[in-house]
Amino acid sequence: MRIQNHPILCFNRGKQIKFYYNGKELIGYEGETIAAALYANGIFKFSESKKLKRPRGIFCAIGHCSSCLMTVDGVPNVRTCITPLKDGMRVESENIGVEINE
Amino acid sequence: MSKIQNLELLVVGGGPAGLSAALAAANYGIKVSLTEEREFLGGQLIKQTHRFFGSEKEYAGTRGIDILKKLIDEVNKNNNIEVLLSSRVLGIYEDNIVTILNDHKMKKYYPQSIIFATGASEKFLAFENNDLPGIFGAGAVQTLMNVYGVLPATNVLMIGSGNIGLIVCYQLLQAGVKVAAIVEAAPKIGGYSVHASKLRRLGVPILTSHTIKKAIGKEKVEGAVICELDSNWNEVKGTEQLIKCDAICLSVGLTPLVDLLKQRKVKTTYVSELGGYVPLRDENMETSIKNLFVAGDVSGIEEATAAMIEGQIAGLSVAKRIGKNSKDEIEERIEEAKNELELLRSGPVGKKIRKGLSKLGLNHGKNYNEKFSEEALDISHLMKTGVPSEENLKNKLPSEEKVFDKGPIAISECFQRFPCDPCVKSCPFNAISENGNINNIPYVDFEKCTGCGICVSKCPGLAMFVIHKNFSETTSVVIMPYEFLPRPHKGEIVKVFDREGKYLCDGKVIRILDGKFQDKTAAVSIEIPKEYYLQARNFKVEEGNHG
Ligand code: SF4
Ligand code: SF4
Ligand code: FES
Repeated sequence: MRIQNHPILCFNRGKQIKFYYNGKELIGYEGETIAAALYANGIFKFSESKKLKRPRGIFCAIGHCSSCLMTVDGVPNVRTCITPLKDGMRVESENIGVEINE
Repeated sequence: MSKIQNLELLVVGGGPAGLSAALAAANYGIKVSLTEEREFLGGQLIKQTHRFFGSEKEYAGTRGIDILKKLIDEVNKNNNIEVLLSSRVLGIYEDNIVTILNDHKMKKYYPQSIIFATGASEKFLAFENNDLPGIFGAGAVQTLMNVYGVLPATNVLMIGSGNIGLIVCYQLLQAGVKVAAIVEAAPKIGGYSVHASKLRRLGVPILTSHTIKKAIGKEKVEGAVICELDSNWNEVKGTEQLIKCDAICLSVGLTPLVDLLKQRKVKTTYVSELGGYVPLRDENMETSIKNLFVAGDVSGIEEATAAMIEGQIAGLSVAKRIGKNSKDEIEERIEEAKNELELLRSGPVGKKIRKGLSKLGLNHGKNYNEKFSEEALDISHLMKTGVPSEENLKNKLPSEEKVFDKGPIAISECFQRFPCDPCVKSCPFNAISENGNINNIPYVDFEKCTGCGICVSKCPGLAMFVIHKNFSETTSVVIMPYEFLPRPHKGEIVKVFDREGKYLCDGKVIRILDGKFQDKTAAVSIEIPKEYYLQARNFKVEEGNHG
């Protein structure tokens, strides 16, 4: 799902890098955000809502809505839509399969 | 503890307003720090691939991304500006100390003055399942697509027909994404008619008086249910329809981001015309707190051109206050900028802004010429459908058929009063006029027009066409603007469409102007059967014809 040719823009993508999504190896480009790289790989579900387990994905893409939070290199609640992708990064979905007892 | 850094001016936000503010002040010797949350400058400009409206002086006719390049270039060259990227302003305290988080370090600043150009955030809409992945704000779609080159979906339903919604739809089509429809709750289209017409020609339906009821899908959007609204905005029973799509894009308005201003206890008030809570401010953009200014969307939702001018006014006002010399010159430039703003806002599309500003006690100190606040033509049909009425067209076509015998002539299909003039400025033969006011509708003087086609590439609304009715015994030629891939070849046969996107006939490409001057808006001459010269307004190049 990457744009190859565009009538107005030309995308100067950085170097190809590897990263991991829930343990699975994926390819992204230097200079893009984690969220953009995931989306380009066809991944749209980033987490589940805590209580009702509803799927969550990108909504604003500029760090304002918190719907793209994931655990990145062990740090929870990272806004993936404004965090640049780094080589070897480990990105994990949040709350998937986690039971909350109240 | 880190030292507190003294500053003359701190500009918060690196979008069009912030960049313009920093430049305006720095050009008069003020030392500026410009902070931006993201790792790059530009704000929304970075996603704007379309040409801007407005006046030539403020870059009209230039693509947003190119305006940005110019601004950044100027900022980088200016020794008085220090740019702090990836820097978040965390707090601003009563003694005007500002804390900024940069590279995991807290830094403290003590600026003499501050300009807040923090922009806006997108509004949300309540409907069933509105939290599914695949539901985006319009800005997110633009960011993914135009900044990162990642497609958000393959078939999008757009909610909202304001300029942002219309522009994003066009950009989706340019990126190869289908737009299922545009749904608008109001009885008329919110954005400029030229943007809407552009989409209609490409076959995108615009459904006014419609709304979304729910999103369908389990893990991701698979469709949407929409319905019709009556004149009281109530659902019309039995009008539900299912639209297939894999993303829903919300473009239902913006609201100013005033959180930081509230921290400093700047007085704000609710003005619906300006998008929500806005700071009280004077004509120089100064808030209720002395030396604290605002510019751009944070002061009220408007177009980027207005944001840039507001930035200039704020920057110049700071320079005037702090500066030691050139005060008269600065004062003159402030006046110029204010006049420019007033002109931009003086037409019918500025009505809402004017009303909002007057609620803040602002009217630029003058009364607007009410002559310009009404439409010259009845465009109700156009604003409902995106397609001009017969009446509208008649108004812009030559009054006598024999004018067409002269040779190729330009036809302007721009019927709405809004601030825009690149067509006027682009014509080397002075054949287009708006009668001295940028808000007027452009008319072509067919006597002067040579049919050169320059205006076709320069009009940001893609509303200029050249018609050569008597190209041959049986054929006419229409020069049309084209901003898609694949590019046509000379001699190629293409499908030709009318203003509603309906297939008319096949046409032959006989000439392509697609050089540096056209800047990616090619002017393509298509030969068609004569009977269609008044209808043919779009064409598509078949993908398969190209290697
Ligand atoms: S076709 Fe050429 S001469 Fe005619 S209005 Fe356009 S720019 Fe002017
Ligand atoms: S015809 Fe002129 S006024 Fe209308 S959109 Fe084009 S450039 Fe602007
Ligand atoms: S998508 Fe909104 S914060 Fe990331």
